[in-house]
Amino acid sequence: MKDIEQILREGKPELPDEGAFLIETNARLSKVEGIKQEVDGERRRGRRALLIALAAGLCVGILLTLLVLFYPIPSFTENLSALAKAASALQSHKAFLFIPVAGCAIALSLLLMNKKGEVL
Amino acid sequence: MTREKFISEVRTCQGQLRRFLASLCGDAALADDIAQEALTRAYVTSGRFIGNFKAWLFRIAYNCFIDHLRRSPGPSVDLDSREAMRLTGGAASDASFELEELQRALALIPEKERTAIVLFYFEDLPIKEISSIMGSPAGTVKYYLSVGRNHLKEHIRQ
Repeated sequence: MKDIEQILREGKPELPDEGAFLIETNARLSKVEGIKQEVDGERRRGRRALLIALAAGLCVGILLTLLVLFYPIPSFTENLSALAKAASALQSHKAFLFIPVAGCAIALSLLLMNKKGEVL
Repeated sequence: MTREKFISEVRTCQGQLRRFLASLCGDAALADDIAQEALTRAYVTSGRFIGNFKAWLFRIAYNCFIDHLRRSPGPSVDLDSREAMRLTGGAASDASFELEELQRALALIPEKERTAIVLFYFEDLPIKEISSIMGSPAGTVKYYLSVGRNHLKEHIRQ
């Protein structure tokens, strides 16, 4: 008996050539042309929204960081130890503040863009 | 991707696509239906496509086949049906008998093993490409091939 691999390699099935297959394919593609354009439009709008959200988030983050760096809040929380500790920690790590702020701004922008997309 | 480019790509691999699905389904007519569904899905989402067109199309076709199985999980096609006989070709009687036995055995093994076997031996695809089509790691594909061969051997001997 032949080896199973030999049987498999020799057993490749051949289908009869059906010219009608491509004709039907073309007909179906014509029917879904409208859907495709809608899907492509949606993808372009999503990409634009993402870019706007990224730019907005970065701008807001940079602005707020500059604000914190050049206009620090005076410490009036000396009597409240927990709040004083938090303020002191923020003061010492203020250079990294823009990261979470930018992240929140980006997330908010994306959410707002998505909502706008749903409405449209 | 424009429609003309899409049709041109489809023209080069439609035969392989139909053969792949026919080997999975055991029914050429059903395979053509699934192939048309796959091509429609592929065209609608072709704006996102990057990379190897054939592997991407085969992945969509495989998913369509899985969806079909979920919708109608009935028994495998009757291999004595005319549609199945069309797959065996018109070779000499011994070779034809062997092909019939192979088709019969293929219909009896699990769907993942059948897919791996068909893609490796009938479509001559590398393991890496089969892995991306099936969405399984390369090691798992090799396992399906090994176990699938053993199952085929058992069914063919019976």
